[in-house]
Amino acid sequence: MADKSNDPVAMWQNMIGEMEKGFNAFANQAMASPEFSKAVNQVGGVTAGAQKQLGDMMEKYLVGMNLPSRAQMVGMAERLQAIEGQLGEIKTLLHQMQRNSGAPGGSAGPPRPPRTRRPPVAGGEPK
Amino acid sequence: MNAAAGLDLLSIPDRIQSEVQRAIQRSIKGVEYIASSGPSLGSTPKDILHARGTMNLYHYRAVADEIYRVPILIVMATTNRGYILDLVPGQSFIEFLLKRGYDVYMLDWSAPKPEEKSLRMEDYVLDFIPDCIRQVQRDCGVTDVTLIGYCFGGVLSLLYGSIFADGPLKNLICFTTPVDFREMKLFQNFADRRYFDVDRLIDSAGNVPPEMILSSFEMLRPASRAASQVQLWENIWNDEYVKSYRMFDRWATDTLPLAGEYFRQITKDLMWENKLYNDAMSVGGRLADISRITAPVLHAVAEHDHIVPYDAAKPLIQKIGSSDKQEVMLKGGHVSLVAGANAIKRLWPKLDSWLGERST
Repeated sequence: MADKSNDPVAMWQNMIGEMEKGFNAFANQAMASPEFSKAVNQVGGVTAGAQKQLGDMMEKYLVGMNLPSRAQMVGMAERLQAIEGQLGEIKTLLHQMQRNSGAPGGSAGPPRPPRTRRPPVAGGEPK
Repeated sequence: MNAAAGLDLLSIPDRIQSEVQRAIQRSIKGVEYIASSGPSLGSTPKDILHARGTMNLYHYRAVADEIYRVPILIVMATTNRGYILDLVPGQSFIEFLLKRGYDVYMLDWSAPKPEEKSLRMEDYVLDFIPDCIRQVQRDCGVTDVTLIGYCFGGVLSLLYGSIFADGPLKNLICFTTPVDFREMKLFQNFADRRYFDVDRLIDSAGNVPPEMILSSFEMLRPASRAASQVQLWENIWNDEYVKSYRMFDRWATDTLPLAGEYFRQITKDLMWENKLYNDAMSVGGRLADISRITAPVLHAVAEHDHIVPYDAAKPLIQKIGSSDKQEVMLKGGHVSLVAGANAIKRLWPKLDSWLGERST
């Protein structure tokens, strides 16, 4: 068997692994500082603020173009969601009624197995 | 063998030939990789039992001739998709459970829509989970339910179990579930209350964008993505490696947005005030003290978990009120604990042996 300690491919893979660990450890140390938190959150805050301003501008533009506003679209989405929810409930009720009626194919899937399983005895079949 | 250098000179031509073949394979497979899609994930047959907004309840079709009396409801973490537990046949936790005779349901999440930004912890703990439990009870005709919560799904399950301590929770299994949020050191620093203005973020963005969630996970190990891509290139000749890489990479980058108000509560109540650990957590005005949970509890934690460090997860078993409780620490990381070759060998058989005798 080849000696892995002198295999250049294994050495390269090992080096990549070690570099990854070393860089992660170094970065984790740097990220644990309050300065890092401050810097990251300042950048994040500016981005969020810019996104909000852009959103407000787009809203005004859409109203000017006689297009539905975001609030109107969200309202429509809410109504659609409510309809979807009600359809889901109706579907569930229909499945239940079908099952209860005992009609052929009356379950949502294949017949259910009995709930009588016991845990296996040590190293063997179910009790 | 050259003793001085430790080199096996006879093997060098073979090694060169092997590396040349791999280089050729890399070029061919590299093109295939770009041109093809990854394996189909989450394909264990299932039915949608109930869906409402961000909430989806699935029932997996039984494969055993005889199943345990008590059904399992898996509560997935709200940041990620449930197919991590159902990757491909042979590497699916769901398939494993079905073959071992469990009746399995999963509460999985869709991306909350902009209009769902006002969802709160109350919606998840007092509405979605109880609603799904009712659906499971109605579907299978059994009152008792075992909950399995992964990561933050474990936190939601703990909150549910502590508020509804009188039942119908039969068993509770948590995977890598944080309780002491002070110990999530890097997340604590990212969310430092002196600099992180959560109100400004939520008021402007509505829901927390998935890119932000993904970046915060990736920042915990900033070199790992680049290193994994180098490793992928080296192993691209190996179909099994590529398949596994694609499955895990797809899942890891398929992050969900978080509902704004829910994230605000997580930040303030858990990250800043550490209320779960301090026995001060309440949901909708109802105290959620985990010492009230008396059902049997199994907590599986990973030795090398960089997302939920052991110190953050350790107090769960200490604080829980059950007399039948067990923590099991297994080799692996946050994801390899529950999925992949490591999980197949370690966690899944352990869980089966613990849960089987508590599921009759």
